[in-house]
Amino acid sequence: MSTNDEQRIAGTPAWWLPQTIPVGQTLDCRLGPLSLQIHRAHGEWHVSMVDGDEKDGDGCGTLGLRAGGIDGDTYERFMFSGSSAQLKLLPLLADRPVVIRPRQPIFLPSGEQTTMYLSSPLTLRLLVGDPGVLLREVPMLRLSDTWFGPSTREGELCYSGRTHARHELAEVPQRAHRAITPLHIRNEALTPLPLEKVSLPVPFLSVYGAADGGLWTQKATMIRRSDSDMAVLKIERAPPDFAGSVSLISGPRREQGRGGFVRAFNVLFGDGS
Amino acid sequence: MSRTLLEMLASDTAAMIFRASILLMLGVLFATLASRVVNRLAVRRFSTHHLQLTRRLVFYSLLGLFVASALRELGFSLAVLMGAAGVLTVAIGFASQTSASNLISGLFLIGERPFEVGDVICVGTTTGEVLSIDALSVKLRTFDNLFVRIPNETLIKSEVTTLTRFPIRRHDLTLGVAYKEDIDTVRDVLQEVADRNMLCLDDPPPLFIFLGFGDSALNIQFSVWAKRENFLLLRNSITAEIKAAFDRAGIEIPFPHRSLYAGEATRPFPVTIVEPPPAQRE
Repeated sequence: MSTNDEQRIAGTPAWWLPQTIPVGQTLDCRLGPLSLQIHRAHGEWHVSMVDGDEKDGDGCGTLGLRAGGIDGDTYERFMFSGSSAQLKLLPLLADRPVVIRPRQPIFLPSGEQTTMYLSSPLTLRLLVGDPGVLLREVPMLRLSDTWFGPSTREGELCYSGRTHARHELAEVPQRAHRAITPLHIRNEALTPLPLEKVSLPVPFLSVYGAADGGLWTQKATMIRRSDSDMAVLKIERAPPDFAGSVSLISGPRREQGRGGFVRAFNVLFGDGS
Repeated sequence: MSRTLLEMLASDTAAMIFRASILLMLGVLFATLASRVVNRLAVRRFSTHHLQLTRRLVFYSLLGLFVASALRELGFSLAVLMGAAGVLTVAIGFASQTSASNLISGLFLIGERPFEVGDVICVGTTTGEVLSIDALSVKLRTFDNLFVRIPNETLIKSEVTTLTRFPIRRHDLTLGVAYKEDIDTVRDVLQEVADRNMLCLDDPPPLFIFLGFGDSALNIQFSVWAKRENFLLLRNSITAEIKAAFDRAGIEIPFPHRSLYAGEATRPFPVTIVEPPPAQRE
């Protein structure tokens, strides 16, 4: 790829906006650990992707349009009878809850409350045309599976994510492959609440994008009323005020059921269970 | 001749046969329609197995009613027929004990529900996907694509393992490391392999058990959990990754060692390689 014919697309921070790709051109995208090359040929689209490990400081999203095809010959082809020039990269949250494990154990004494800023990895939908026809859905960061529940029979499969669980908003880095959720936890039970693992039900959350490239979800509130691992989950309808001027990018994958009870807090397994 | 035929057609017998045939045809039609309606209505609420069972029950009950009506139309007395059927049942029961046993075992299987259509079960040495649970037998498709019919009686009598009952499964890996290795280092290396493998669940955490001092190795069990669908992938990938990680860390997986001693406590058996004398070489 020559650097001369590469051009940065205007307004790259908001990389989720629709892009126009002329025939014969390739869009190079770097979104956190995920690298994508999307080429438009006559009557077909070619997609090549490489994912890697998450490293500190690789959170930016960059798009570049260049002439020519995909480097290498390992790509997927999507055939169309008459393809549109419009391509949309749509970020949305994972299809299963993400179990957040703070790097240091956190405890919330009885009667206390706190707000943490958690960043959850996103998946990316490649949509062509208007209304968008789905080419692929790829996770921007491959997450390990985990089980969340009181026993190996009762519980649900989730994704596992590590986080710093930052307390101050200013410390939270904006990354292209993660959306930030303000999570407010209130412990109304009589016992301290260990926050070694918190299940964040991301399928119920929407993704909002700010003009500076920041990705946000609504604020979620978890209230623990009894000495159990269950919590009442409340999700606000609007994005948080401190996110500034944001617009809705993608809605929730699932609607929250009645009652709003979720299994939210950590459960310890016995060895060999 | 034609006159006789016409007379016969006009007679009561012909009318009875005609009515009975119509009833039978209607019976088949209604039973088929009703079982299709049941299928549509219950497809979301019932499991595949119960749907199949309900459909058959509706079909055969309706058909049975119409057959009984047709027989009555032909002049058979149902009370006599039922009595004869009772006597016949005893006779047939004695003659077909195996089938009856399978039939009753089938009823127990339906009530107990140890597995459903679509589950993967292991019976004796046979492992396969359940295709159907019928009155006399359960049909399996093994993973090498063979059709296996297992009598219900066998399933009731023997141990059946349902591999797809719970969403997660544990893979137990037993391995041995050389006596010179540090067990804590081995544990750390194995834990790191599990952490890096995306298919291995973080929770429940991997299990490390020191099994004991073997003949030529320190025996260890390392158990990792995976999503049921990823079980085979994990089983294959983690073995290769452990081997590679052990090679990198210089941890030896020993093969059985034999030391020969000449009788004294610690001195090994002396072996000297000697050149043969020139005369023998020729």
